[in-house]
Amino acid sequence: MLGAAQVLAGEDSAGDPAKQLKTHFAPRAKRVIHLFMNGGPFQADLFDPKPALEKYSGQRPEGADLRTERPTGGLLPSTVKFQPSGKSGVPVSELLPKLAGHIDDICVLRSLHSDNPNHGPALMQMNNGTILPSRPSMGSWFLYGLGSENQNLPGYIVLCPGRPVRFAELWTSSFLPASFQGTYVNHSDLTPGKLIPYLKNPTLDLSAQRRQLDLMLKMNALHKESRGDDQALEARMNSLETAFRMQSEANEAFDLNQESAETRAAYGEGHYANGCLLARRLVERGVRFVQLYYGNGQPWDTHSKHNESVKKLCQDIDQPTAALLGDLKSRGMLEDTLVIWGGEFGRTPTSENGDGRDHNHHGFTMWLAGGGVRGGMTYGETDEFGFRAVENKVHVHDLHATILHLLGLDHEKLTFRYGGRDYRLTDVHGRVVSEIIT
Amino acid sequence: MNRRFSFAVVLLLVGAIVGSAPPASAGDPPDAPSGTAAAIEHFEKHIRPLLHEHCYACHSGEAKTLKGGLRLDSKAAIERGGDSGPLLVPGKPDESLLIKSIRYDGQAYDMPPDGKLSDRDIAMLTDWVANGAVYPGTDAEPLPAGAEIDFEEGRKHWSFQPLVEQQLPVTAADPWVIGRTDAFILEKQRQHGLAPSPTADRTTLVRRLFFSLVGLPPTPQQIESFVEDPSPEAYDRLVEELLGSPQYGERWGRMWLDLARYTDTTESWLEQTNNAHLYRDWVVKAFNEDLPYDQFVRRQLAADQIDGLGLEELPALGFLGLSPTYFKELLLPPDIIKVIVADEWEERVDAVSRTFLGLTVACARCHDHKFDPVSTEDYHALAGVFASTKMTSRAMIPNDRYAPVAAAKAEVNKLSEQVANLKKQKPAPEEQIACLEDEIDYLKRYTPDYDTPMVSVVVDESLHVEMAGDSPQAGTKLNYRPEPQDLNIFVRGNPNKLGPVVQRRFLQVLQSPTPQRFVRGSGRAELADAIVREAGHLVARVIVNRVWMTHFGRGLVDTPSNFGRLGAKPSHPELLEDLAFRFVENGWSLKWLHREIVGSATYRQSSAAEPSKQSIDPDNRWLWRMNRKRLEVEPWRDAMLAVAGTLDLSLGGPAEAAEDATNRRRTVYAKIHRREVSKMLQLHDFPDPNLHSEQRSETTTALQGLYLLNSPLLNELGKALSERLAREVPDDPVARIKSAHRLLFGRDATDDEVRLALDYMNGSSDGGAGAAWVQYCHALLASNEFQFVD
Repeated sequence: MLGAAQVLAGEDSAGDPAKQLKTHFAPRAKRVIHLFMNGGPFQADLFDPKPALEKYSGQRPEGADLRTERPTGGLLPSTVKFQPSGKSGVPVSELLPKLAGHIDDICVLRSLHSDNPNHGPALMQMNNGTILPSRPSMGSWFLYGLGSENQNLPGYIVLCPGRPVRFAELWTSSFLPASFQGTYVNHSDLTPGKLIPYLKNPTLDLSAQRRQLDLMLKMNALHKESRGDDQALEARMNSLETAFRMQSEANEAFDLNQESAETRAAYGEGHYANGCLLARRLVERGVRFVQLYYGNGQPWDTHSKHNESVKKLCQDIDQPTAALLGDLKSRGMLEDTLVIWGGEFGRTPTSENGDGRDHNHHGFTMWLAGGGVRGGMTYGETDEFGFRAVENKVHVHDLHATILHLLGLDHEKLTFRYGGRDYRLTDVHGRVVSEIIT
Repeated sequence: MNRRFSFAVVLLLVGAIVGSAPPASAGDPPDAPSGTAAAIEHFEKHIRPLLHEHCYACHSGEAKTLKGGLRLDSKAAIERGGDSGPLLVPGKPDESLLIKSIRYDGQAYDMPPDGKLSDRDIAMLTDWVANGAVYPGTDAEPLPAGAEIDFEEGRKHWSFQPLVEQQLPVTAADPWVIGRTDAFILEKQRQHGLAPSPTADRTTLVRRLFFSLVGLPPTPQQIESFVEDPSPEAYDRLVEELLGSPQYGERWGRMWLDLARYTDTTESWLEQTNNAHLYRDWVVKAFNEDLPYDQFVRRQLAADQIDGLGLEELPALGFLGLSPTYFKELLLPPDIIKVIVADEWEERVDAVSRTFLGLTVACARCHDHKFDPVSTEDYHALAGVFASTKMTSRAMIPNDRYAPVAAAKAEVNKLSEQVANLKKQKPAPEEQIACLEDEIDYLKRYTPDYDTPMVSVVVDESLHVEMAGDSPQAGTKLNYRPEPQDLNIFVRGNPNKLGPVVQRRFLQVLQSPTPQRFVRGSGRAELADAIVREAGHLVARVIVNRVWMTHFGRGLVDTPSNFGRLGAKPSHPELLEDLAFRFVENGWSLKWLHREIVGSATYRQSSAAEPSKQSIDPDNRWLWRMNRKRLEVEPWRDAMLAVAGTLDLSLGGPAEAAEDATNRRRTVYAKIHRREVSKMLQLHDFPDPNLHSEQRSETTTALQGLYLLNSPLLNELGKALSERLAREVPDDPVARIKSAHRLLFGRDATDDEVRLALDYMNGSSDGGAGAAWVQYCHALLASNEFQFVD
């Protein structure tokens, strides 16, 4: 049943996510952190300045009348000012002053686009490559293709202080073996032992449990004695040992108290800051993919009081995101850690009921940093209103192809045979955006 | 034709398009060519390089995947256009799709997709069209992307052949052979230098049979009565007893529910019935009653249209009535909604074709199947059936009896709305509210059958996705109409690009000489009949293989839902033919099939691996032994509950969450939620209920290890088991340890095991009091021996 990755590696991983597999070519990134602004941020407030909005304020000139989820009115200028930042001079919003200091490590993709302006399908497309709830998520493709670097931790962890819309469908392994699914962690409560399911024994301390585990292993050894070489029996015994180690290691990995006061201060406070710091701790320990949802539900979904909300949201993400990039860099990890930032789509330059903005899948911004991506550049353009991607367009499929490429995987070769077809994360699409790779 | 000659021909044939070019006008750019030779030269010098650089990667013979059915590398191809129709109107750039697309103004496709061409390039191409779009070349068509399907040839595929009873091989005379099955197995073994393993001992056999047939462990008494029964009929009697127990249907019904992508919770935008379990219970009952498999298939597709079938059979329609549905935002224009609706129809075609036929027909939505003789017409002929079928819920009582209930429900809804509105008033008019609430109460209480269960079904109504207003911008409405519909081909799967109409009918390759058009309603009943009659041979092979796979852990065909050319070949073709043939002869009886399989000497072999045979056939492809099998999550959890003495064996009814501390029912009744599969089930390879699942993956992970070490269930059941043992064997620790082994593993403890247990107790801080026993029992439940069946 298993496809490309096993062929590549010349072995059968048999759904074991702890096994490391060979890549198609030398990887630029070994791990990925995806900062998911669920709800969808507005590109022209943050990374894609559109002065023309001022000129046409309140109007709906030709080209600014695209269909989104809900009816919208005339163009609504952004109130945000931009500063040319870093050596590169890439303009960054005044709402993100600290992040602006890292712009020379960031590649701003201004020309993302996708197929559907509803949250559910768009979340699915960003995560699973199609708008259907029945395809493996990109994280499970990563694990399927690459395995994990630390078998004492899950290889694919999804952090959210609450529950993103569509929930577990966003990290499903679908028809890939169940072991490739994401492990969801609600990090709003950081009490050790509550984060990973079944991490802590309700009654036994570790030494008592070690005794019990030894008993189990001896029982299993006696059972196996008369049954010869049976890998399935052995694998299950090993999984107990690994689980036992995971109890300590995962507790340690999720324990932010082990960080210095300076580091804690650098990231700041709040769920998102904690999430960024957790993400760093996890990838540092070999977790292949950490996805951090900004918040419960869809906080970036600013259908009303847009400006007010965006100020708060940006205040919340600016320092931790900057700290994460800085921290990775100072540890020498940014060069092989890919950081992805973005929502499931962007927002309309037109107004919804005067002070809101609707979903916009025609054109929006995401950014990448580290992991072999060129910093201090923008790629692609939207039209003069920031409504539609027009130049060097990057479809979500192209983004996925590029991410896989950076991980050393050919998106056309990473396949899995299911239902008579070889499935790919990128379906039958996808172009590696090689212009942004160093 | 040699190269030079063909070149000459090309030059001569440059024609039609050039001929229709309008004369260059005064306003033409100075470098625009007019004469033919000059036009070609201009093309080769300026236009072809442009096309080559920006378009050919997707739109030429050199494209890895041709996009949009469009080629720009031959005259004929350019004239023909692509999936979206003609590419250009020579002389009229403004009317030409090509030019509209490269202008990037949102009117067409915005090509090339990675960015707009420079103004100069756009002007160049525009002028080229304005000047007649001269393209050198012949009128010959480029080779079609795929050749026509040869259905006669296609029918020769092994799984499409009629079933024939097989000649028994000479091995049939061997004393090892019990049934026909064994003769075929032995023949293959001998061909590969192998011989059967000895028969497993009787305690192993009884445990194996219990898990195989009812998914539960035998009690020590059940083991004893079998082991000590000297009668040669003891084995067959046990098989009959198990097949007759209601737990058989629960075990095997769950196998079916994997295929049927069963869920207890349907999406919130559907009519909520909360009665999905009626389908699950129908499946369990059908297995228990040994409903002939062909009837089982027909009823799940068309129970509402089969003469003489009672309304109590309607839950069978849950196979379709509980299908996955995808969210449709009706504020969006119809072209987006049409794609979502088309995806739903594809889901039905996929689930039906793979479940019943073992064919991947959905592959043919976008193009003819690349491997199997299934055309895109075939796909749309089936999709039309589901495009004429609506998911809904209905009562299991006659319509005239339900009519007053429906009226009362409508009235209750209306009144409830009024109450809700009145409650918003300040102050709320209490008296008026009380009065309305009385009325609601009265209607609910005194309308006969008011609480009659509503069951998830399908009815024949066709879905039409239409504009809600005058323009697409006004959003979408979904119109259901009573008359069925035939679909136009969706060109490359896209419902916004329509090809010719295809009448609803069965797959051409499975019906000879040509399929009959479906004329009764949606055609569901005719489809059901065609599946079990026209394709009965295929249907029988597929189900026989699924049952075999469940017993042996591996099918005779390794791709249980793909019996097409890309599927695996059977390891034992004659055996599969023989079993499938006799399965049909024996009235499509699944219980007959179980008897054949578990009654065989093959099934009764020991699972012990002999190194010499292992080196010949490490995968046990030739079944020289039984496979050791790991229990799936359902029988594993059920077995833990059973030995702990807490299993609740009540049958049927609404589901309960697997994680509920009070849920002690069999796992087949654990709640399945498509959006949010229970963490416990998901950890243990439970399949994604959004999708037809042909086979469970079998993974071993550290997270499962954590579950074994720490989950509340293992801890609680360890406690329950230790209490049970203390109750049953109060005094003697050695006797208690032995009793535990008999209970869990169906065998006596060895001296080593007794010593291991006593050492653990004695070394415990409580010196072997209650807590140590709880930990010990927990360890027994978590052991390999408890989760594997020899």
